Amino acid sequence: MNAPDRYERFVVPEGTKKVSYERDTKIINAASFTIEREDHTIGNIVRMQLHRDDNVLFAGYKLPHPLQYKIIVRIHTTSQSSPMQAYNQAINDLDKELDHLRNAFEAEISRHSERFML
Amino acid sequence: MDGASYQRFPKIKIREMKDDYVKFELRETDASMANALRRVMLVEVPTIAIDLVEIEVNSSVLNDEFISHRLGLIPLTSERAMNMRFSRDCDACDGDGQCEFCSVEFHLRAKCMTDQTLDVTSKDLISSDHTVVPVDFSDSAGFDSSEQRGIIIVKLRRGQELRLRAIARKGIGKDHAKWSPAATVTFMYEPEILINEDLMESLTLDEKRSFVESSPTKVFVINPHTHQVTVVDAEAYTYDEEVLKKAESMGKPGLVEICPKEDSFIFTVESTGVIKASQLVLNAIDILKQKLDAVRLSEDTVEADDQFGELGAHMRGG
Repeated sequence: MNAPDRYERFVVPEGTKKVSYERDTKIINAASFTIEREDHTIGNIVRMQLHRDDNVLFAGYKLPHPLQYKIIVRIHTTSQSSPMQAYNQAINDLDKELDHLRNAFEAEISRHSERFML
Repeated sequence: MDGASYQRFPKIKIREMKDDYVKFELRETDASMANALRRVMLVEVPTIAIDLVEIEVNSSVLNDEFISHRLGLIPLTSERAMNMRFSRDCDACDGDGQCEFCSVEFHLRAKCMTDQTLDVTSKDLISSDHTVVPVDFSDSAGFDSSEQRGIIIVKLRRGQELRLRAIARKGIGKDHAKWSPAATVTFMYEPEILINEDLMESLTLDEKRSFVESSPTKVFVINPHTHQVTVVDAEAYTYDEEVLKKAESMGKPGLVEICPKEDSFIFTVESTGVIKASQLVLNAIDILKQKLDAVRLSEDTVEADDQFGELGAHMRGG
């Protein structure tokens, strides 16, 4: 009867930002990004991509509570970079990786179907 | 601003492809990417399913809610779903779904006039859009082609009647499992199995046999002539570690070494029939890209930080 609407799990409520950024007050080049209505799907790929960046000293994410539909990504970088730069870079790299993956998969589909046409 | 790129270039090889099944290898990426794809395929690729039912007459033995639930679970062909709008953010209607951009209307009229029980099936659903119809499973199953039956919704006896209007909408599996396009999506690490040949040769033939048989799946074979143990099917290995335990109990630890290749995955994708399995993978990639786009930092966040940035530079002594 008083159950929350199911769409609350994936629709960002009006007036809230999808991604909010908060600098760490004590450590330079450290920050947390709160991403609304995302889960391990995004959290884990972003974290692993950040680990590939040599300027990232720490990258982690958490899902604070299963009923709070948000994740918190924390990044600490060297002074050569900044959390925001690392975050943007990680997303750009993942985006390009997926572009590549899509092209590779499409090429495989046509290669595979041609072989069965013969 | 641009740092070095840490992009990867994954490789794909399709092993088997049918309409509702694909098996492929994904290499040179990591488990997070494989798992993200799996998760997106299961619950974030949109499909179309009946979401609203208005019942005019129902004198069948099943109650209205029961029939509505069954209608929701009927798979509908969803090639259109990627280009449709969610009814909650459709501008053309108030979201109660009667416009062509976000919904498809179905009608069902059935009345039993004979003493023979009448089966009301998914084939009796009349769609307003010929691209969105109940999935036809008849040819692939081994059924007689003369007996093309849909999915049974309810059975009617003489005099009973069912008349309703249903609205199908676009949705995702996270909302309700009826919108999930995937029957199963799995991936496994490709195993690498190394046999220590010297140690293996120190075994008697009987020991070799019992070693080979200790694996619940057929991973190893003995060559009948040379009595050499070889790997026939590394992928049949289910990471059960039975052979390792066997080697240990025979006092030969290290007889075989099995390590999962951490950048190599074997995927199997089975679709429910609403879209092709290969299309499901492609849609999942697109959806994941859209999700990444949505989590990019917005302009005002960057601006707000720039002011901070000066302060930060000052703090660093810049």
